[in-house]
Amino acid sequence: MNLAVRDIVYYRLKFFSSTIGVALLIMVVVAIGGIVRGIISDSSTIIENTGAALWVVQAGGAHPQEGTLGPFVEVSRIPQSVYHAIEAMPGVAEASPLAMAWEHVRRMPRPTFLMKFMYINTLVNTATMVKPGWLAMPQVQRFIVIGYQPGKIGGPPVIIDGRGIMASHYEIVADVSAGFRVGERLRLGNFDYTVVGLTRNMVGFTADPVIYATLLDAQNIVFQPDPNLLRNVQPLIVQDFRDAATAQAASPRLLAPLAAKAAQSAENTLFINAIAVKLLPGVLAKAIAERIQRWQHLTAYTAPQQVNIQLMGSNRLLLFQMSVFRDILVLIAGVVIGLIIYTFTLDKLHVIAMLKLLGAPGRVVYQMILQEALFMGIVGVVLGSALELLIEPYFPRRVIATFGDIVQMLVVMVVIAILASALAVHRAMRVDPRSVLGTQ
Amino acid sequence: MAGNGTDYTVYAEHLAKVYGQGRTRVEALRGIDLAVRPGDLFAIMGPSGSGKTTLLTILGLVTEPTEGRLLIDGEDIYGGRMPDLARLRREKTGFIFQSPNLIAFLTAEENVVLPMSLAGVPDRAGRMRAAELLDYLGIAERAELYPNQLSGGEQQRVAIARALANNPKIILADEPTAALDTDRALSVMHLLRQVSIEQETAVLVVTHDQRLIGEVDRVIELIDGRIVSAESHSAGSAVPTS
Repeated sequence: MNLAVRDIVYYRLKFFSSTIGVALLIMVVVAIGGIVRGIISDSSTIIENTGAALWVVQAGGAHPQEGTLGPFVEVSRIPQSVYHAIEAMPGVAEASPLAMAWEHVRRMPRPTFLMKFMYINTLVNTATMVKPGWLAMPQVQRFIVIGYQPGKIGGPPVIIDGRGIMASHYEIVADVSAGFRVGERLRLGNFDYTVVGLTRNMVGFTADPVIYATLLDAQNIVFQPDPNLLRNVQPLIVQDFRDAATAQAASPRLLAPLAAKAAQSAENTLFINAIAVKLLPGVLAKAIAERIQRWQHLTAYTAPQQVNIQLMGSNRLLLFQMSVFRDILVLIAGVVIGLIIYTFTLDKLHVIAMLKLLGAPGRVVYQMILQEALFMGIVGVVLGSALELLIEPYFPRRVIATFGDIVQMLVVMVVIAILASALAVHRAMRVDPRSVLGTQ
Repeated sequence: MAGNGTDYTVYAEHLAKVYGQGRTRVEALRGIDLAVRPGDLFAIMGPSGSGKTTLLTILGLVTEPTEGRLLIDGEDIYGGRMPDLARLRREKTGFIFQSPNLIAFLTAEENVVLPMSLAGVPDRAGRMRAAELLDYLGIAERAELYPNQLSGGEQQRVAIARALANNPKIILADEPTAALDTDRALSVMHLLRQVSIEQETAVLVVTHDQRLIGEVDRVIELIDGRIVSAESHSAGSAVPTS
């Protein structure tokens, strides 16, 4: 006869209402774990899905010895032609030139009911924290443009709707979270582009969705200056060139074509931001990275280093904060379970005294308490995790609670249940069976 | 006193119990001698503070005596190594209280099965024995009900069934009729008499209830921790040793 089960069944309303409280607490703990995993995933998904072992970026910058941290968290600009030299290196299987930048369009996706709710909820929550205008709904949508050469690494890893980019120009593939539909047209830079396909889970570390374009289109979007500005600047460049050339007594016959060439250079877009490098099997990424840095005067990061730059460089404090908050909640869940079990045990002191009088060994009593604590912890985790998985899709940022996270939570809650029941067991063991007889 | 005490269900020699020390020292029992045979039904009476409940808890193996020798079913409880009192309570004693003290979250049948389950009796055998006992006590049809669905008298019968579950050598009853009217009180005593005869179980009833004097084999009167009289009311076999 299992006394814990009989007790739970008889006092089911009391027990399950307490368990639901624990489950809601655990739901929040699992959700925070999911948010942390979401941040990690957002910071690594592009690197992971590109499949490159090395990311080559501009050297120098603010720290010449260390190179720039590009292309995701710092400006990196290198001539496109460099990738050929990288690709020719022994041990390199493929080098893919990538252009990328944060861009925006003057269009917000139609807000869903949920987003409206979240916005109003945020307004209410931050009413005393912001000044007028700070929380005005933006009229632009931000995303990351990644330009790649079709056929090389760096493109969308999966197409969930429509197709991949097939034309050389004016086609894009967008992450589904951007809210675009296949066939939709949008203006980027100086041209209109058609969304020909959708991919998923491709976002930057800021959770901004990715838009894929061909390298040439991305270079136009990222590097081509505004035509009006260019029209103003070009005569100045030509004049500067003429002055310099005249001063050095250049041949007047060559002056005009050279000046035209100089003006063209102002609109040169043959730059890239990074080179994604895939290595041959068995080749050590660090060794290739050192060679690139020594001979090509570029900076090369391994894939884990590049993820680290985003994760610990940009999202470090957020991760620390969420992890500490998660710890606090786990502690609170433990205290709550401990108090519930202790209270339940206090309610049962007479029963425990009776059991002892009937000759129940100590283990029968502490098994009953422990089993109830474990039941509450385990049912709390199962119920809390199920609730979390139900609400997960409705979070504004990605929340990813995996089966492994839930199992980890289960193990933690089992340990907590054991610790939480210790106090109750200690109290139960002090119960004198003579108390049933009204004497001690 | 006959022999070395192994022929008796309960055999006590010079039992004493002292609580506290110095100025708080209280002698609850002083030199109690007692011998109870299988099937005996004794009443232990006396004013409040006379040591009745202390004697009951010592005989029920809940309280350890300060001095003296105690044999239950021929086993010298404190004569050897540290006794496993929980096991001895499971195997040799049954308790009945003024309030039935049934476990609220167990059905009547489960309350009876519980002591057998604690003693390691298989669940099926325990349930069969519980059904027999509940039938014997006339409440078989109430087996599936919880204590709060039973009347006071039915609860007390379930408590008696629970006390009998492990075929104890001795049943210790603490004021079992105090909360009952005369008819029910006598009914409970008749049941205990029936149990003592048919199951050959020794029954010791601690009571203030004068209505029960005629229902027992012998009345042992305690005053200030001493047996002052051991009056026989029937042809029972009880032999108080003092």
